[in-house]
This record gives sequence, C-alpha cells and structure tokens, in this order.
Amino acid sequence: MIRLLRRYLRLYVLEAWFSYRALFAWSTPFAYLATKLGFPFFTMLLFVFMGKFVGISDPLYIVIGNILLLPSMNGLGGVSMTIGNERQFGALSYLLGSPAPRGPIFLGRALFHILDGLITVMVALPVAMLFFHLDLAQANFALLFFCVLLIAFSSSGMGFILGSISLVTRDGWMITSTLAMALYILVGVNFPVDLLPGGLKLLAYCLPMTRGIMAARQALAGATWVSVAPLIYGEALVGVLYTLAGYRLFLFIEKRSMALGSLDAL
Amino acid sequence: MSNKSLRLVWRQMDVQIRIRTLNWYTLLLFILQPAIFSGVGILLSRAAGNPVPNLVYTVIGGGIMGMWSGLVFTSTFDITRDRRDGTLELIVGSPTSLGMVEAIRTFTNVVAGLFSLGAAFLVAMLVFHYSLVGIDYVGALVSLFLIMFAMWCIGVFLANFIAWSRLTGAVADLLEIPVAVLCGFMYPVSVLPGWMQAISAVIPIRWALQALDASLLGNSSPTLLLQNWTFAVLLSLLFWALSRWLEGKVHDRIRITGELNSI
Amino acid sequence: MDSFAIEARSLNKTFTTKQGFWNRKTKTTVAVEDVSFSVERGELFGLLGPNGAGKTTTVKMLSTLLLPTSGSARVLGLDVTRDTHKVRQRIGFTFGGARGLYGRLTALDNLRYFSELYGLEPSVSNRRIPELLELVGLTGRGDDRVETYSSGMQQRLHLARALLHDPELIFLDEPTVGIDPVGARELRSMVKNLVAMGKTILLTTHYMAEAEELCDRIAIIKKGRIVALDTPAALKQRLSGDAVIEVQIKNESAALVLGCMQALDGQVSIQVTEIPPLQSISIRTAEPGVVMEKLAPFLNPQVIQGLEVRNQTLEDVYVAIIQGEKA
Repeated sequence: MIRLLRRYLRLYVLEAWFSYRALFAWSTPFAYLATKLGFPFFTMLLFVFMGKFVGISDPLYIVIGNILLLPSMNGLGGVSMTIGNERQFGALSYLLGSPAPRGPIFLGRALFHILDGLITVMVALPVAMLFFHLDLAQANFALLFFCVLLIAFSSSGMGFILGSISLVTRDGWMITSTLAMALYILVGVNFPVDLLPGGLKLLAYCLPMTRGIMAARQALAGATWVSVAPLIYGEALVGVLYTLAGYRLFLFIEKRSMALGSLDAL
Repeated sequence: MSNKSLRLVWRQMDVQIRIRTLNWYTLLLFILQPAIFSGVGILLSRAAGNPVPNLVYTVIGGGIMGMWSGLVFTSTFDITRDRRDGTLELIVGSPTSLGMVEAIRTFTNVVAGLFSLGAAFLVAMLVFHYSLVGIDYVGALVSLFLIMFAMWCIGVFLANFIAWSRLTGAVADLLEIPVAVLCGFMYPVSVLPGWMQAISAVIPIRWALQALDASLLGNSSPTLLLQNWTFAVLLSLLFWALSRWLEGKVHDRIRITGELNSI
Repeated sequence: MDSFAIEARSLNKTFTTKQGFWNRKTKTTVAVEDVSFSVERGELFGLLGPNGAGKTTTVKMLSTLLLPTSGSARVLGLDVTRDTHKVRQRIGFTFGGARGLYGRLTALDNLRYFSELYGLEPSVSNRRIPELLELVGLTGRGDDRVETYSSGMQQRLHLARALLHDPELIFLDEPTVGIDPVGARELRSMVKNLVAMGKTILLTTHYMAEAEELCDRIAIIKKGRIVALDTPAALKQRLSGDAVIEVQIKNESAALVLGCMQALDGQVSIQVTEIPPLQSISIRTAEPGVVMEKLAPFLNPQVIQGLEVRNQTLEDVYVAIIQGEKA
C-alpha cells in the first residue's frame, strides 16, 4: 500500500513537473513575463481608465480584482494548455496508450500551475503598491496567500474541463481564451458580483474564483479566517466539483475516442 | 491593379475567410469579446451610479475593440499556424512576396472585423435604443474608413514584426491591449494622463477614432475632422512605409535563421 | 544558356541558436560545410545521407528558402541569393511529410491557391489542375478536404502542387517517406516520367533502392560535407568486385568464426550485428571463394543458421562510406 502511494505521489509530482515544462511553453523570460504580467497589467489599465471615464476615481477595487484574477490564468489557461497541447504535439496516443494511472497523470498537471499562480500574485502586489499606492498594512497575508492558492486550485478545475474539450477540437484554446475574457465580467474582478443581472449573478456564483476573490479582498482588508470561512469552503467545494467533472470528462473522452477509433485523429 | 493581382487578392481573401474566419469560434471571438468589454463598461457605469452608459464609447467602442482584437489575434495566429503547418515555407518559396500575402490577409481580417462593429451598432440600437439622429454620417463613414486603413497599415507592420521571430511574435501579441488603452477605444483620450496622450499621438487609430467618436456624438466640426483625418492618414502611411522597409529585412532574416517551419 | 541546372560552390550554412532560460548560451551548428556540386539539365541527381547530414539544408539553400552563410549557388543560371524571385518562378519543391497544405480546404482549393501564388492564368490553371490530379492519381478526390487524405495522398498532392507552374527544376526532399510500397512505386514512376519530359530533379532519400533505381548520379553527404559523388555503378565499383557474405551464427560459435576471419585480415571487411540469440556477420570480400573455404568447417546447422552470398548493393557502399571505411 505504501509502495503504491509512493508510486502515485512520484508520478503525480513528476508528471506535474514534466508536463509544466514540456507543454506550458515559454521559451524566454520575456515571453513568460509578457504573457503572465504584461498582458494582464495592460488589460487592468484599460479597465482603470474605463472606470475613470464613468466616474470611478479610486481604481483600487479594479486593481485588486485584476491581481486576484492572475492565478486563474495559470489555472484556466495553463492547465487547459498542458492537456490540450498533448494533442497538438501528437503525444496523446502515447500518453493514453501507457498503463499509467489516469488520476495522477491528469490531476498532477495543476500542481505547478497553482504554485506559479501564487508567485505571479506575489510579483504583482508590489507593482500595485508602486503604481497605485495599494496599502497592504492591514492585510492578513497568510489568509491572502491561501486564498490565492485556492483561486488557482479552483480555476484549474475549470482548466481540466476546458483541456478535456481541447482534446476533441482543434479550436479548444479559442474557447479557453474567450472564457478567460468572460471572467472579467463574471467573477467580481472589476465590480461587485451583485451588480450583475439575475441570471449572470447566479452563473457567477456557480463559477470558480468568485468566492475566492471575495475572500481575498477581505483578507487584504485584514479579515480573519473565521469571517471568510463560508467563502473559503464554498470556493473549495466548487473547485473540487469542477476538478471531478473535468476528470470524468477526460475519462469519457478517452473511452469514446477508443470506441470510435478517433485517437489518432485527435 | 492588374487582373493577376486582383485574382490573387480574391483567392487569398477566399482562403483566409474559409480557414480563419468562417468557423464558429472565430465568430464567437468577434462577438463575445467586444460584448465582454462593453459589458464591463456598462456595469462600471452602474457601479459609478450611471444607469445609462455612454453608448458611443461603451458599446460601439466595444465593437472597435472587437475589430482590433480580432485583427491582432488572427494576424498572430496566421503566421504561427503557417509556421507550424509548413505552409509558411511554401508561401515564402513562391514568386509572390510574403508581404503581399500578409497585406491581403490583414485586409481580410480588418474587413471581417466589421462584423464586430456591426454587432455593436445593432446592440446599441436595439437594446439601448441608440439613436442615429444628429450623427454626422459623412464624418462617421470617412472616419470608419480611415480606422480600417489605419488598422490595415498597423496590421501589416505587425505581421512583418511577427514573422521576424518567435520572440517578436510575443511582443506583437502584447501590443493588442496597450494600443486599445492609448487610442481610447472605450473612453476619450482626454481621460489619459498627458504623457500617455503624447504616446498615443503617434498611433493613427487614435486620430481616426477621435473623428469617428466626434461624428457619432454630433460634436464634429470640419476643422476637427480634417485635423484628425490628416494625422490618421499621414501616420498610417508612415506605418505602411515602415512595413515595406521591414518586409525585405524579414525575408532575409527568416531565411538566415531558418525559422520558416519551426514553432 | 547554362548547361547546368544547379551549380553549388563551397556552400556553407551555420545556425546560431540560444539555449537555456535565464542564462542563455549561444550554440553554433554547422549544418553544411563546403558543399560543391553541379547537376546537368535533364539529370536526376540524388543526395543521400543520414539524418541531420545537411541534405534538407542544402535543398533549402538551393530553393531560396535559406540564405547560405557563405558560398554561392546558381540554379538555371540564376543566382539564388540575388535572383530569388526569378528562381522561384522556375523551380518547384516538396518536402517530405504531410505538412504544408491547408487541411480545411479541398485539394482543388489548395491547388487553386498556389496557382495564384505562382501567377498562373485561370485558363492555364483550369487546364493544369485536372491534368496534375490525374498524373498523381487523385482524380475524383479533388473536392475532398485535405485533412481526410492519407499521408500518401497528401504527398502526391504536394507533387501536384510543385508541378503547377511547369517548373524546369524540381527539388524532391524525401518524397516517398511514409508511403506504402505500392504508392512509393507509383511515385517513382511519376518521377521517371518527369525526367523523360526533360525536367531536372534533385532528390533526397534514405531508400537506397530508390536512389539506385532513379538517380543518374548520387552525392553522399555526411556531417554537412559531400564525401562521395558518382554514378550508382561507379560508387559500387569503389568496393570493386566485392561480394557480401551474410552469415547468421549462434552467439557461442561467433567467436570461432570471427577468429578464422582474422586470418584473412586485409582481404575482408567485417561488420557484426547482434540479433539475439544469433549474431549476423556481414563479410565483404573480393575473394568470396576464399572466405567460403574458411567457413566450410562451420557449415552445419548447429553453428550456421543462415547463409547468403550476394553482390554488394548501394546500401553496402553507403554504409561503408558513412562509417568511414572508404571515401
């Protein structure tokens, strides 16, 4: 039993590391920084100026929301890429034809993305302090970083679903891209979720990240663990549900492609 | 333009539309992304206590975002995909210059972007009851044409830039949002700090867009329009000239590095 | 008019790449070094070599897709670096594999598209496209999307694409790679027809039988340098009169047999391959009778499991040259 657990753990970690390096490909530090920080920074600026135009003089709500969305780029984009790219690089047949247990090889893909998400936020916060005078004096850092990890985890659940979809369509990454954009409107990044019309508000609470971002905002303002516990539990539950759904979808697609003989076409 | 050139234009546009544009996901991109930006604008307005958004900047500006995003996205995608699929090599190896092919593709992408703008106008009119009364139609149409011309010139420049190397491809991709920020796609340029307005002065889209917004808001005057149009045309031609210069360099560079068919 | 279709003079190509993420080191690779050769008009010239030898790099320099680092090349009398546009109008090329076509488009659409890139008039392309589809055996499949084609069909479509503008010179880079034997035979037949029509062809291939069957002359390239250049018959003559005796022998007896062969040292060239539980000994010799005499004591089924005496093939010469025995 111990040996089996050790094997699974080793597979989980190694699979995580190799898939992160092989499939989440940025060949230079510039490309890494440009995509991870540059693009989100300018998108945030766009929203800041949009806010200024309509009369929102204090941009911090928008700035904080956009920073807290950063882990989702790893979770959503990174995880879906490390699954979908198996198809792109032609390695999918070899992966699925191996006897390796699906759980570790699938779930392991999120590990380094979750850690990467935390690092990205840690880099972004000082930038916000510098440019937007973000005051972190009150922040509960332990709770904040936990919330960031949770956001990365729960968004990776969605990444698993999108990655599985990417296995059966060559345009999967376009769906991922569009969904990633939709997060700016749906999960409380630029304005409170309560401003959304009825249907969209319900959708927002069904998505990962919404509660995590709310909890993280409170952590920045100095909230305690107890006061944000319902949000944290809710976010964790959503993340687990999405992860399980993604895993089930992956298994379904694998079986179906084997039945239809479409693995090579994948 | 000779018959041969016209045929090439037609054939290239046909291929471009069928490969890149006419699939559900690209159409999704052309509609959903501008809708998202517009949605953020509308809800920010509500957050600020304005139940009625400024339709020109918030809704139609979203359409302009869609045009621009679609252009940058498809331009980057074109070259990357060609590299990956091995077709870039075949295009470069043909007697038709890569620059010509990119110019036609970019033109197609710009025209396809009108889909976004059209959708934005429809939403503005049907959902928000935007009224066309008081609009300077001529000013708006000429300005729109100049926006397309400016986007085309910048798009061709970017296509060459992207073809230069994979690294410059990443840079070009990064430019999508900064251009939107600097040119005031979703707000007047006056919202920006002075130093950013100075930078945006070299981007032709800013001037054409200013003219369009003024025309749609009914604030245009012949002097204002002429001034904006002049800057738009001159700067666009500058970008066009830069692309022509870059084209030759790109052609040599990619044949030195051998990056024609590597990802 | 130049009698040569291709003249390469001291072609060199060096690639510089950067490796690593933070501390990027520059790595220089010499892909082609001092390559010189000429190809007559109407000739079918073969370029052979192991993977990474520089065949494709050489072809790409000649077809204007790569700029040489130094040296010069003329194709159909035109300089490949100065007269790029004119060269491209008069040559065709294919690179092995299924890449290079728009999968979402039909074969006809792909051909029409490339027709326009090559500036063909509609009257010409409307006539040529059906002819070419027939030539490559794709009649009736023109309206199918290329992504539904097998790799062999895509390769044939590539050939049709390369011939659209009726080029005088065609570069075929591993045209039969990944194609079944029947398909490969058909493709070779098409290549012969092209030569009969007066085309000049430069072919790269790994398949020795193909090179031997098709090529008027062959250049063997190794680590970026040409190490042999001659007709197939003359290349075989380098190992003049050599026969090849292939012996499959049980492992435990191999040492005995090899010991006997050592007495013939200088008269034979031996290559041993492990095929458990046997060893395959390939003995190249000008005196097959002498070798057979030495082997006679071992000619019983307990020792020798298989025996074949044959004339040496181009593959034997190629292997010998690449492994550095003779150049």
